[in-house]
Amino acid sequence: MDPRAWTRFRKNKGAFLGLALVAVATLTAALGPALAPHDPNEQFRETLIDARGLPEAPLAVDGHLLGSDSIGRDELSRLLHGGAVTMLVAFLATALAVSLGTFIGVTSGFFRGPLDAAFMRLVDLLLSLPFLLLAIAIKRVVDDPGLWVLVLILSLLSWTTLARVVRAKTLQVRELEYVLAARALGMDASRILLRHVLPNVAGPIIVLGTTLVAQLILFESALSFLGLGVEPPNASWGSMLREGSELIDSAPRLLLYPAAFIVMTVFGFNLLGEGLRDAFDPKE
Amino acid sequence: MSAYIARRLLSALLVLAAVITLVFLLMTQIGDPAAATLGNRANEQTVASFNARYGLDRPVPTQFLGYLGVIPCQRPNSGVYDEDPAKNGYCGLLQGDFGESFLHNDAVTEVILRRLPRTLLLGAFALVFELLLGIGFGVLAALRRNRWQDTSIMSLAYLGQSLPSYVTGPIFLTYAAFLFGLFPVGGYGTTPLEHVQHALLPAFTLAILGASTYARVTRSEMLDALQSDYVRTAKAKGLGRRRVLGHALRNALLPVVTLAGLSLRLLVGGAIITEAIFGWPGMGKLAVESIVNVDAPTVMGVVFFVALAVQLGNLLADLAVAALDPRVRLAD
Amino acid sequence: MAARKRRDAIGCIAPVAGLLGVALLLLALVPERPAGPRYEGAGNPTPRNGGTFVFHHESNVRSLDPQVAYDELSTMANRLVFDGLLDYDQEGELVPSLAVAVPTPSEDGRLFRFRLRQGVRFHPLPGHPEGRELVAEDVRYTMERLLREETGSPGAGFYMAIEGAEAFREGEAAAIRGVKVLDRYTIEFRLAEPDQSFLYVMAMPFAYPVARETFEHYGDEADRHPSGVGPFTFASWERGVQLTFARNDAYWREYARPDRMVFLENIQRHLAGLRFMNGQIDAIHRQTLDHWAHFSQAERWANSRQTFPRASIWGVAMNHEMEPFDDVHFRRAVAFAIDREGWARARGNLITPTGQPLPPQIMGYDEDLPNAQSFDLERAKEEMALAGYPDGYPREIEYWGSDGDVSRIYAELLQQDLARIGIRVRIRYVSFAVFLEQTGKPKTVELLMGGWNIDYPDPSSFLEPLFHSKNHRPENSSNRSHYQNPELDELLDRARRETDAERRRAMYVEASDLLAEDAAWAFAYLPLTQEVWQPYVMNYRPHPLWAEDYRSVWLDLPRKRVAQQLLGDGSSLPAAFFPLGLFAGGSR
Repeated sequence: MDPRAWTRFRKNKGAFLGLALVAVATLTAALGPALAPHDPNEQFRETLIDARGLPEAPLAVDGHLLGSDSIGRDELSRLLHGGAVTMLVAFLATALAVSLGTFIGVTSGFFRGPLDAAFMRLVDLLLSLPFLLLAIAIKRVVDDPGLWVLVLILSLLSWTTLARVVRAKTLQVRELEYVLAARALGMDASRILLRHVLPNVAGPIIVLGTTLVAQLILFESALSFLGLGVEPPNASWGSMLREGSELIDSAPRLLLYPAAFIVMTVFGFNLLGEGLRDAFDPKE
Repeated sequence: MSAYIARRLLSALLVLAAVITLVFLLMTQIGDPAAATLGNRANEQTVASFNARYGLDRPVPTQFLGYLGVIPCQRPNSGVYDEDPAKNGYCGLLQGDFGESFLHNDAVTEVILRRLPRTLLLGAFALVFELLLGIGFGVLAALRRNRWQDTSIMSLAYLGQSLPSYVTGPIFLTYAAFLFGLFPVGGYGTTPLEHVQHALLPAFTLAILGASTYARVTRSEMLDALQSDYVRTAKAKGLGRRRVLGHALRNALLPVVTLAGLSLRLLVGGAIITEAIFGWPGMGKLAVESIVNVDAPTVMGVVFFVALAVQLGNLLADLAVAALDPRVRLAD
Repeated sequence: MAARKRRDAIGCIAPVAGLLGVALLLLALVPERPAGPRYEGAGNPTPRNGGTFVFHHESNVRSLDPQVAYDELSTMANRLVFDGLLDYDQEGELVPSLAVAVPTPSEDGRLFRFRLRQGVRFHPLPGHPEGRELVAEDVRYTMERLLREETGSPGAGFYMAIEGAEAFREGEAAAIRGVKVLDRYTIEFRLAEPDQSFLYVMAMPFAYPVARETFEHYGDEADRHPSGVGPFTFASWERGVQLTFARNDAYWREYARPDRMVFLENIQRHLAGLRFMNGQIDAIHRQTLDHWAHFSQAERWANSRQTFPRASIWGVAMNHEMEPFDDVHFRRAVAFAIDREGWARARGNLITPTGQPLPPQIMGYDEDLPNAQSFDLERAKEEMALAGYPDGYPREIEYWGSDGDVSRIYAELLQQDLARIGIRVRIRYVSFAVFLEQTGKPKTVELLMGGWNIDYPDPSSFLEPLFHSKNHRPENSSNRSHYQNPELDELLDRARRETDAERRRAMYVEASDLLAEDAAWAFAYLPLTQEVWQPYVMNYRPHPLWAEDYRSVWLDLPRKRVAQQLLGDGSSLPAAFFPLGLFAGGSR
């Protein structure tokens, strides 16, 4: 890795803002469930629903800072728990997608041959399918509301770009003189991969991985928005957004709270990713 | 050149074949179309007659081959089907027949052709917004590099990339359309003028993401171009600022064109949510409704169409780049 | 350098501040939601033809073939194009429609003779561009088509009481023995045994007369060319998007109607509410919680809204063939655990709690039903102990719901209630298709929300499909709790034949009580409907049986832009600032 990367990163204010936002979001997700004042799934039917059957506003009822959602659950607790779900799904799916993409990219690029061709056709295939549509269909077929299903679907559909980039980079590295020399000397393929190839592709992987988190948060929220997200009664930011959007003309807050969290987190990851890209691969 | 195109077309065909197989398999697993189409009060007879009508009582491999059109027609309702096997015609993809939609009781081709113009209208407006805003702001940012205009535009572009349509859509719909009354509240309208009016807000919602991306790409390409040798040469020769900029812009737009070509896939995929929010009866809404109702032929048709559009889009983008930039060779 | 830094800082902050500023400015300017209708009627004293009536639904019409269609939406559409021999008036009483009178059954209760109105004309038919007269032969054709196996009518079962229906359906007879055309306008039905629901069944849309020409000419595509004798002719249908109907000027009854009826499909209820408030839709019938509260309280909507209970029943269906719901104590525990009042509260009182299988407008409903279910946490816990689970049920029970926001809310309400007596529920959402397919099979789904809408105003319309063992089938059971009780079957069969009204009522009360005591379901609520229509929509009153039956409205035009002046509530203010207001135009 380029040792000057860190220096460049440090000078980038946008990247730092991104890092800060990411830190806030991650902390919210990690500590949220512990900080939540109430059980996020408990319906306070007597107190948190007003006479018209509508949710109570923030601070209207003692102990409920942000008021309630449409069936009397504590909004703040749901936001805090929902963040944990959203971030967990995004991080797990990214980790899986990055591993898969790296593995496929490196093996394709390094060994070439029919395996490479097959993998790249697979990438073509996945890229020519409408992403969201495919996810909806698979989710319907699997028909299980578990978190891991969501994680698997998200990761299986999102490793393609990373694999392409890693493959291209591997192809370059493979032709470098010292790698050629190592191969000529009969060095083991796995050692070459570990010692020479991986360090060289690490930059793009980190950059793409960071922006992938952002994309997957958006994607998970989109699925939740279409009603195909996490298992009820659990909340995720996306499912809260869906529930809130129906009440937008009387209680826009129910849409704006989760929206603010989603946008902030995604914005953070995008900024951070961009900062990392500039750090690893300066154009100017 | 033609060999290149031939090779690309072949690989596109392979991908399409794989897409079809994959989606067909998915759709056989997604639920019982008879139950979905006939509702909660159907009985055995209704279901049986439905299945017989669409050939769903055949084994899945037979259905698939019939769908492809390599074996004679399996759908008694198709028009070419004959009880006498010897006279039976073909009714599959190879014959250009996408089957009959269960839900719409009409040829899938017809259904798609009715929806397609609407999605294209939406997409065209979105593209116009994207390019106008993206290129305009991108160029401005490059010219005012590192000044406040640049930083502002770039911050907004990052923000725009983080604003999903399911956040902006309901907000625009409720505030801009409903409360402020600036636009029609969802729907499609009946006359061409109304279609355009109804398209503006959803198109803008769709365009936010693309405009942000294009603004960033335009800016960085523009900066590259402004620093390149030929622009310096042109400047040194005393060419007017306007013409120098024109040269730079021409070069900077190449990647934007490529990106626009690649965005075809997003047209249907990205429009799913926007169309749902605004009640726009296009392909995205069709796709979701078809999946929900297990209308396999329609889903297959839509996916096939999108995959085809993606493949063509990729090819066209490559060709366009080659046409704009003589240095690019069409090779591997 | 310092200057540069400052500029950078401004650059970072400026856009965010700018956005916030714009947002705040807009928020300050945000107009109130219009407090009342945008458009008033012109005040015409007499009904007149004209205008376009626009209505909608959040789902889609399935079929325009009256013999095949069997859902509320399709009925809404079909009732514009077709007419029946009999119909219901606003009080839910049977009245003649295409028949001259409601027939009186013969002494033994088996013979019904219908006399048709003369001069009733079909809409244009293949071979008859001007339509032709409806005759008794058409009714016979319709009955045969309905019973024929290949038509695939889900309603055929209702007509099996007709003599020879079975034989005709099996292909053993060329005609239905019990259906006889006596002359051009008279047709006679003979039943195998007396059936008190027969006249109701003849009023169902399945029996709405169709013309032979349509089906012989169009074959499989007939439902794209529906042709009946109803008040509107079919104009066009883009499936899943909209249907259009035009006024039938040759209709046999003369009254004022709109020129066109436009039925928008697949419009979500929130969007529909916004469009309705904006005057782009003329009537709505389902609202979000928020819109419900708004319309029910807004004074200016008071003259054009109505809230009423629907003739349908909802409850928690438990699979009687599966453990632990094979134990009556366990089922009773569930029935006692449901906090029906709490549900009503959480749903903004758009449902009414209930504890018995029949809705109040149906004979057999008893306010003082001895074993009516109710919320009683203590008794629920006692029943749990009797079932052998004083400390809660060990396994997680799987609840199936079909997707949709409303279904989701009830699932979550149920989940919390059952958790209080130690029953843990896992919610599983599937598409409507999968839900129907799987819940219709025995021993597949343990727990679900069950519901049933009225077919005809008789208790058999509810109790038989939901609880009679003949509707427990290997596939497509309508008895989704798979309840089988010989005692109940016998009671229901007897009640169906009983000719004495009072004795019949008593039997259905007994059946209801049995079902409530046995906790066949945990009966939960009766949905309310709030219908709201624009002030210029005249002569509309919600019908007790037909959902959203708009066939007799007329529009008090011109109404169009009396509009803007009506907006005394500031909604037009910001529009003045925005030249874009041009784009908002009318949309119709």
